[in-house]
Amino acid sequence: MMRQSGFWIIFKRSVLQLVRRPIYWVGIFVLPLFCFLLLSSLMLDGLPIQAPAAIVDNDGTSLSRNVSLQLAGMQMVDITETPHSYTEARHLMQEGKIFGYFLIPENFEADLLSGRGPVITFYTNMTYYVPASLLYKTFKTTALYTKAGVAAEVANSVGFTQDPTALLQPVNIITRPIGNPSLNYGIYLCVSFIPCVLQLMIILVTCFSLGQEIKYGSSTRLMKLADGNIFRALGAKLLPQTLIWWLMAIFMESWLFGWQGYPMRGSWWWITLSELMFVLASQGFALLIFGALPNLRLSLSVGALTGILSFSIAAFSFPEQSMYGAIAIFSYIVPTRYNFLIYIDQALNGIDIWYSRWWYVAYIIFMVAPLPFLPRLRKALMKPEYVP
Amino acid sequence: MKFLKQYYHAFLREFRLVTGDMGILIFLFLLPIAYPIVYSLIYNPELVRDVQLVVVDNDRSPLSRELVRRLDATQGTWVIGYAANLQEAKHAVHQHDAYGILEIPAGFGNRPGENKQAQAVLYCEMSLMLRYKSLLVSSTDVMQDLGATITTERIDRIAPLAETIATGDLMPVENIQMGNIEGGFDSFIMPGILILILQQALLLGIGMSGGALREHPLKASFNPLGKERPSVLAGMLGQTTVFIILMIVPAIYVMHYVPLMFKFPMAGNVLEEFIFILPMILSTVGLGFILQGIVRERESIFVIWVVTSVVFLFLSGLTWPRYAFPGIWRFFSDCVPATWGVEGFIRMNTNGASLAQVHHAYVNLWIQAGVYFVLGYIVQRFVQRPAVIAAAKASETETA
Repeated sequence: MMRQSGFWIIFKRSVLQLVRRPIYWVGIFVLPLFCFLLLSSLMLDGLPIQAPAAIVDNDGTSLSRNVSLQLAGMQMVDITETPHSYTEARHLMQEGKIFGYFLIPENFEADLLSGRGPVITFYTNMTYYVPASLLYKTFKTTALYTKAGVAAEVANSVGFTQDPTALLQPVNIITRPIGNPSLNYGIYLCVSFIPCVLQLMIILVTCFSLGQEIKYGSSTRLMKLADGNIFRALGAKLLPQTLIWWLMAIFMESWLFGWQGYPMRGSWWWITLSELMFVLASQGFALLIFGALPNLRLSLSVGALTGILSFSIAAFSFPEQSMYGAIAIFSYIVPTRYNFLIYIDQALNGIDIWYSRWWYVAYIIFMVAPLPFLPRLRKALMKPEYVP
Repeated sequence: MKFLKQYYHAFLREFRLVTGDMGILIFLFLLPIAYPIVYSLIYNPELVRDVQLVVVDNDRSPLSRELVRRLDATQGTWVIGYAANLQEAKHAVHQHDAYGILEIPAGFGNRPGENKQAQAVLYCEMSLMLRYKSLLVSSTDVMQDLGATITTERIDRIAPLAETIATGDLMPVENIQMGNIEGGFDSFIMPGILILILQQALLLGIGMSGGALREHPLKASFNPLGKERPSVLAGMLGQTTVFIILMIVPAIYVMHYVPLMFKFPMAGNVLEEFIFILPMILSTVGLGFILQGIVRERESIFVIWVVTSVVFLFLSGLTWPRYAFPGIWRFFSDCVPATWGVEGFIRMNTNGASLAQVHHAYVNLWIQAGVYFVLGYIVQRFVQRPAVIAAAKASETETA
């Protein structure tokens, strides 16, 4: 009876700590929710259509004007400028007014019709990946249409009467993007970055709340209430946070796959299980850091470092196979990586749970990883020492 | 004269506070030194090469083999093998052994001879955009290449007269990548991140020093218990000078040596780049003065500010272009020093723009600097200073 009451006293104590300090409200609710909102509403359209671009028409014939018109009619570009020379266009790009331009050379029509092979060149500003890729696609399509039109005419003029498609493009590889046919960018960025934000905040809040006990010396009281039992102390101290984070994780899941309508082709249960275990794994990861460095500032520094690096190292955009081997292995030491892998298998591709079995095991490993450090942590909590 | 004296005094005390605090020094020096290296190393391979592809060839004709051979030869694709059927191929994808399936239907090889288009289907696993892009570029290139070979042969047979087509490309189409000419991922994302790191290092450092003052008010740039209250402005200018001096080395390292080490494009004029970054540092310091208003203790800064790096990365328009932002986010984005810092630095460093060409960003940064200093003054005058004085009095009564 006494033992149980110790647990609940600590539990209530930590609930009060969370409620009383605004920083926990900010760290647990305000910042994560702001990030959810920012990321998902920023990319609401799925693709950034209407990239500002320009056409440099050095030819000025009916054919070149026709090409310009076709290009201006494409969905992905917005022809905002009509510079008169290559140099002018380049300057516009340097100033950031356009992300790419399409150059029709002098004597284009004449050269084309007399078979001198005029070169169409388009320039894309690769310092901005997404608009540049979209412009690349649009420019290339327009150029190829133009080419096909002219080739069909030439073929016709020499007496070729069949359907020119088979002649001009005898081989066609049709690309089928499975699971994301509209190439929605929000799907990529939100389902990976938003859980990573959650992981970062879990790590920081966990380290902060434990570090506070040491900084202000209240950890001796915490340990006393727990009868010196580190499991009871940590369990009761962190359980209120776990419950709130679970709430946040479920909200995140509903936000992403329910309201935002991101692909959800598997079982909601597996994803829900993944989110719940993800919270525990992240807390375990934080405890690992804090157990190894039971110091407020150091643990927060390391937590912030790993939390922020997770956005890159967990390979949400640049695949781990392309990284250097010695770096790619670090991709597997952060919980959010497994959240992403389970999302890919269970939500995006909706495949059998068998394929994901290891990812759930990884969560469990994060949960037990801090165990070897608990004696050290116990000592630090019993004899708190604040190092600024 | 009195003002100058107060300024000098504030400068000295702030310098002592910052250089005596390990936490702040880590933010101001270790963070900008270590982060760019770690980040650049992650992305340094630049390109996504050899994305694993599995082939289901139901045709087994010379043409289908040629297609697969050419795909395998591209930079972006690596054919890991043939699968007996789609089921087997899917298994490979589900196991993350392959990220695409090329399915070639029976009769593929005969179709060009029948004046029909030969079609194959490339299924792409869509967990990462860059892998998809790599497969797409490979398949488009091969499709055009192989197509051109067949077309040339056939036209030659139909009408030897149509030499324009037979002897070469009727209208060559060329793409030239500007700025980041190799189209590498590291060279794309890092120049922006470098500037963000500068801003965040400074804000974290200033935020922590604000928290440190509330905990140790006697270290403030003025004597909080003294009768005389020196001017807030002199104190702010003293602190600003400290931060500018301390940022010189990190800024040179981050903006010049990191791009040099990792061979990022460097097309800009170095001197102009530093002239450009000065107002960003100033407006960041101004923002830091505002931030100090909400930092109650040194370590709070971690919880409330670290995650903003992600926010600012997105608001900078680096990943998702600013022209596609909804209005409200564009406004937020306009208010962040790093937005303009990133924009201007990328244009100068990567696209080779001159300072005059990025005057828009430059002017915005000066405006921000002005606005943030005024707001920062208000916060310092009415929030931070009273808080420090209150803390000093509290600790005095405690010790007494």
